[in-house]
Amino acid sequence: MSAIYADNNATTPVAPEVVEAMVPFFRDQFFNPSSMYEPARRVAAALAQARESIAASFGPIDPKEILFTSCATESNNSAIQGVARAVPKRKHIITTAVEHPAVLEVCREMGRHGCRVTYLGVDKDGSLDMGEFVRSLQKDTLLVSVMHANNETGVVFPVEELSRIAKETDPSIVFHTDATQSVGKLPIDLAGAFKHVDLLSFSGHKLNAPKGVGALFIRRGTPIRPFMIGGHQECGRRAGTENVPYIAGFAAAVELAAESRDSEEPRLRALRDRLEKGIEAKVPHVQVNGRGAVRLPNTLNVSCHYVEGEGMLYQLSDAGICASSGSACTSGSLEPSHVLTAMKIPFTAVHGSVRFSLGRYNTDEDVDRILEVFPKVVANLRRLSPYWDQEKDRPRADAPAVK
Amino acid sequence: MAWEYSEKTKKIFMDAVHGKPGTHLGEVENPDGMGEHGSIACGDSLRFTFRVKRDPEDPTKDVITEAKYLTFGCTSAIAASEALCVLIEKGGYTPIQALKIRNQDIVDFLEGLPEQKIHCSVMGAEALEAAVFDWAHKRGVDLPKLGIDAHEGGETEGRLVCKCFNVTEPYLRRKIQELKLHTIADITNAIKAGGACMTCHHAPGGLQDILNDMWGAPKAAAQEAPASVTAAANAPSPYQFSKRVEKVIEEYVQPMLKRDGGGLEVVDIKDKLIYCRLQGACKGCAGARQTLKGMVERVLREKVDESIRVIEL
Repeated sequence: MSAIYADNNATTPVAPEVVEAMVPFFRDQFFNPSSMYEPARRVAAALAQARESIAASFGPIDPKEILFTSCATESNNSAIQGVARAVPKRKHIITTAVEHPAVLEVCREMGRHGCRVTYLGVDKDGSLDMGEFVRSLQKDTLLVSVMHANNETGVVFPVEELSRIAKETDPSIVFHTDATQSVGKLPIDLAGAFKHVDLLSFSGHKLNAPKGVGALFIRRGTPIRPFMIGGHQECGRRAGTENVPYIAGFAAAVELAAESRDSEEPRLRALRDRLEKGIEAKVPHVQVNGRGAVRLPNTLNVSCHYVEGEGMLYQLSDAGICASSGSACTSGSLEPSHVLTAMKIPFTAVHGSVRFSLGRYNTDEDVDRILEVFPKVVANLRRLSPYWDQEKDRPRADAPAVK
Repeated sequence: MAWEYSEKTKKIFMDAVHGKPGTHLGEVENPDGMGEHGSIACGDSLRFTFRVKRDPEDPTKDVITEAKYLTFGCTSAIAASEALCVLIEKGGYTPIQALKIRNQDIVDFLEGLPEQKIHCSVMGAEALEAAVFDWAHKRGVDLPKLGIDAHEGGETEGRLVCKCFNVTEPYLRRKIQELKLHTIADITNAIKAGGACMTCHHAPGGLQDILNDMWGAPKAAAQEAPASVTAAANAPSPYQFSKRVEKVIEEYVQPMLKRDGGGLEVVDIKDKLIYCRLQGACKGCAGARQTLKGMVERVLREKVDESIRVIEL
């Protein structure tokens, strides 16, 4: 029995087409694209081709607006720190309480260096309050950084609306979005509905390219100072010899995702919905986190009351199923997921969350197998939970109530 | 975070969740001793129960014959609970002898635990201690008279230092002494205190102050940067301006929208920017934006201020 990989929001397997596209640049086309001789110019042309191809997937934008980085974390750091350094007069940043740490921690760091940071909260479904967003806009607001889709719950924020409102309020406000989870899964037209977005981060390894390559869209005219200095590459905006093989693979992966999005989106949604309904039917006392909001088609975040996430993951792993959890014990700290905490998920459930995130290579059989294994995993842990009534198979009368 | 558990820990966990014969999950009925530690809000908790073979003459000679647990927690919390029961049953201890089992014995039995999981073994030792105190109470054994510090209530009474995990100062001091904890990281790994919001680390009377008091101040205490400031919402626009805007909307705009079964909600006013949301039949209407931009903005500019701009939510 082969392993079932259901953790595609963490990373994805590299597509064979992507590997194909990379191989020539490890072999005879190894040249530095900045060199002058003919073979190197062919590598430079391949780099330009990759940039054009990625740009084309975001609507009619200038390929020069795409900057290659090493990962989405670098893109986020470059965006936030670069804007703060370019516009030192403005001191206010707006972000949300549920961002990925690559945004949240950078904003906190800005907060230690003279910026004021507003962290927008979310409701129980994980959605933002537009009124709260409007009230948080200030005269010296420098940057709004709001993620497109949440990595833990898949909840999608209305970045189109938020960026429009920010720009209509004050065109000098810079709008950044971390779109790491949504690129390749949702349509993003940077010349259309997303035309008010100035900066957009994403990475390759969430869409079947390898780890170690990312990009930052920088709309022309955006005030931003470079993060990596010491070379003319990327028009002086990001020094360092370009990672040509990975960029070629990245472009192939973006093309692959764009070509198949119309068929993959409904296919993943159907798989996810069947998994969701199946778990709800087979496991008592579960809740689907973020269900009341618009969500990514591939993500299911489910909490099982009165059990702890790590024990579930361990048993799933033992049965060959890879998933992840927002439980404190898996986070490396002692706190449960900041996303679920911000959603005020009841404390009886916040430690018992499991995230299944599906991808290109998941099948109907995978969902069947998860549905066969998962209910047993939960039952095993409830059998030894001090909060579970074994005879009646429900929470004990004296267990802390679900609020 | 990857699992860095010993093979023994993994096996004990899997045997426990599959309820293999010889494992100890469950609860002893009418136990002679019952102890609990942790809470669901903190992420793990353990209910530990045992039965003794009562000595007809001298309760201090009671021998523990059966031990069971119910645990809410991670892989290592469950394995540590199982380890505790095995250690106790194997030893043929009296409850007072069982008190000698320390968290390190549990760690050794499990062939080691990752640093961040040490608190799972402490939880086992704590629940055992609570169960022995419960036994002593039921059997009328006076532990202090036998030279055993029963520190009853020490856990829940006293000044609360770590609010996230409900840890009091007396409990902290006892554990710092017993487990020889020298740094904030040691404290967090062993008893979780200070592991969440971290505000108690360097607060007056916080973890560092208590450590300094007990072990002496370190030569150069690391300075942590202050937490970032959460900004308050912008000050509202002048009162009179807002009132005039509201009045015009009430008198001129709402009646027009009402004819179509709709309405308008003003969400905020900042200087000359009016943020509104259409309601009722107007909400989601294709011409809605046109309505806002065109009609509402025109009326407000005419009646209140030339430079007003309307922003639709």
